[in-house]
Amino acid sequence: MDSLLGSNPTLASNPAYSFSKAPYNSAADNKEHAFYPYTDNGGSTLGITGEDFCIIAGDTRSTSGYSINTRYSPKVFRIGGDDETGEGAHIILSVVGFAADGTALKERLNAIVKMYKYQHGKKISVKACAQRLATILYGKRFFPYYVTAILGGLDEDGKGALYSYDPVGSYEREQCRAAGAAASLIMPFLDNQVNYKNQYLPGTGEGHDLEPRQALPLPRHDVEQLVRDAFTSATERHIEVGDGLQMLVMTKNGIEELYHPLKRD
Amino acid sequence: MPGFDFSNYNRNAALHAQGVPLPKATSTGTTIVGCIFDGGVVIAADTRATSGPIVADKNCEKLHYIAPRIWCAGAGTAADTEFTTAIISSNLELHALSTGRTPRVVTCMTMLKQHLFRYQGHIGAYLVVAGVDPTGVGLYTVHAHGSTDKLPYVTMGSGSLAAMSVFETQWKQGMTREEAVKLTSDAIQAGIFNDLGSGSNVDVCVITAEKAQLMRNYIKPNEREVKQRDYKFKRGTTAWLKEKVITREEISKYVTVHELSSEDDVVVVEKMDIDV
Amino acid sequence: MDSLVSTYSQPAFEDEGYASDELQELIHTKPSSSLSFALPPMPRPSAFLRALTDDHANPNCPIKLAHGTTTLAFRFQGGIIVATDSRATAGNWIASQTVKKVIEINNCLLGTMAGGAADCQYWLAYLGMECRLHELRHKRRISVAAASKILSNLVYSYKGMGLSMGTMCAGVTPQEGPALYYIDSEGTRLAGNLFCVGSGQTFAYGVLDAEYHYNLTEEEALELGSRSILAATHRDAYSGGFINLYHVKEDGWVKHGFRDTNPIFWKTKLEKGEFSNVTANL
Repeated sequence: MDSLLGSNPTLASNPAYSFSKAPYNSAADNKEHAFYPYTDNGGSTLGITGEDFCIIAGDTRSTSGYSINTRYSPKVFRIGGDDETGEGAHIILSVVGFAADGTALKERLNAIVKMYKYQHGKKISVKACAQRLATILYGKRFFPYYVTAILGGLDEDGKGALYSYDPVGSYEREQCRAAGAAASLIMPFLDNQVNYKNQYLPGTGEGHDLEPRQALPLPRHDVEQLVRDAFTSATERHIEVGDGLQMLVMTKNGIEELYHPLKRD
Repeated sequence: MPGFDFSNYNRNAALHAQGVPLPKATSTGTTIVGCIFDGGVVIAADTRATSGPIVADKNCEKLHYIAPRIWCAGAGTAADTEFTTAIISSNLELHALSTGRTPRVVTCMTMLKQHLFRYQGHIGAYLVVAGVDPTGVGLYTVHAHGSTDKLPYVTMGSGSLAAMSVFETQWKQGMTREEAVKLTSDAIQAGIFNDLGSGSNVDVCVITAEKAQLMRNYIKPNEREVKQRDYKFKRGTTAWLKEKVITREEISKYVTVHELSSEDDVVVVEKMDIDV
Repeated sequence: MDSLVSTYSQPAFEDEGYASDELQELIHTKPSSSLSFALPPMPRPSAFLRALTDDHANPNCPIKLAHGTTTLAFRFQGGIIVATDSRATAGNWIASQTVKKVIEINNCLLGTMAGGAADCQYWLAYLGMECRLHELRHKRRISVAAASKILSNLVYSYKGMGLSMGTMCAGVTPQEGPALYYIDSEGTRLAGNLFCVGSGQTFAYGVLDAEYHYNLTEEEALELGSRSILAATHRDAYSGGFINLYHVKEDGWVKHGFRDTNPIFWKTKLEKGEFSNVTANL
């Protein structure tokens, strides 16, 4: 039972080391170089929802190793819109990780969302699209898409909706999520500034009586500022993040695209 | 016993064999270059230090002093370049004192390669040595395993290919000081913008028979833009469990406490850059 | 095994572009119910997958999958208590603190998630579908025994492929009364009164075994479930977040909140005097 549930490998059999990474069996660690179909193309994405909008953003750099493949390769896409212009799309998707898998996944979801419209005569709901994306990802459970996806749109009540995924399709609706290379730099910032984690209301009490600061949906302007600061900061400290920031903002009036240059070093 | 302390070697090897990862050293996955001109030599470096994909230092110094007219640019493991150049600098000073002559660049290069060869590449220092001595101008590269090169223009580090492409297209014989400084800083900028291991600013050091001139942050092409929001927390935002005030009387039992009478008493050794 | 697997799954890249069944999938937007999975074009796909995704055997593996962690369920005179934490980890990274690890299969059947988050989410949703089909075919609700067996047979057919699940099925039916089953991806299926599953299981068992008896009142049972998860989140770094509490009764399950562990911990410490080891005074 232990082996399959043990997300805590130190408990398994080895003594607990005071190192951040748990030991693994080096004898079983023989690398096979025959077939390796994945590359990490770096970059980072992030999504935040508000009361009546949803923003998904990503940097536009594509890397392999220490090289830059291109300074403009978008990671955020319109789903279900016109092929060229993206006109009429009502869902936004970001994919980060292995760019080829990301493109394949985007194309596939796009085709499915369009077929849904042709067959049912109505647009797919974001909730249904989110579930469908999970089944697409899980369909490759044994040969995964090496991507972290974030799906956004407006739900049945017109409220901002955001769904985040792992590579094999476990998903969850959230207020905000960062993914990709700089996720570990951006996500704690978002926890603090969007959900006000570890922030208390000054003067509400001593010690345990101190009241936590309640998170409220942020206005669009504030969210855009947070997104820009998250990416300029990630660019400072992560070598794979930079060049440009692409932002798709989804409101009831449609999807707006914003671009800000980032540092290119 | 002088030299390295190997007392944890066996323990660490055993741990590593069990799969415990080695601690990550800060490496200056770097662009460094050097180029000679009429009457001297110029070396330059970027200022990014990385630990894996994370930028550890945005403005580090990779140009090291060896002797009054010999400087060295270092790539590879940050600690190794720092200490290797310091040791050689020290030994070269002693050498100069005992011989009564100004040290030569070849001597410095030879001492470096002999030191590095002895450690078979385990000291991860990749260096560009440059200087002017009574025999003339010297410019060398020294690899961690001990091999060396003597060339009119050199590049090293992860951005060496980007930098070399600039030299190969623009270098010419008998450049002026200004031309050489422009060329080396362009080569470093090629590394800064095209190699992920390199970034931030350009440091340049020009050495002539008269003097060596270090131009720290000669070009700053990567200033951070102003943040959109202000992230100052209201006082009292952070929860705490216990408050303890340490009085001067208490702390003076363990350390000497000096009273500061005015602002002038505060000695700023080095000002730190802080993002606002 | 692998040859068996390839018989039941489509080869990838059989053709350039989309394979015929993939095309079908695009045309019919409903996902196929034939349960065919894409496999990498190689002789031992399961070994390939393990090298890529198993952070237990290889902490440096490139694809870190989200894992679920402490879950428990126990039977008592008033029904069944189901409680879980809400943390998902990918290696040392806390991927989420708000995972719903109790999956509502239908209004009187619950499943819990431990192991691979995607595996549990997908297959318990699939189980929900099978249970509904069973109802429609047989005009009566499926028994917990049958439902758990559908799941265990299913995961057994994928044994060795790298699925990772430790699941409990809890439910009440007229023929069985309150029933509780443990199913894992190795193929184990056990009926029992009390289970804890996940990396924090030992800590949860510690509290649960000490205080458990069958005649607990409803209030005591809910408190015990919550307290056991709290103990696990306190000592197991891979468990945490929120306590998700359910009570399965004769006429279906009742949700008893999704509550933050941090205030619960301090309340338990300050009001009941437990966790006295936690102190700011040295």
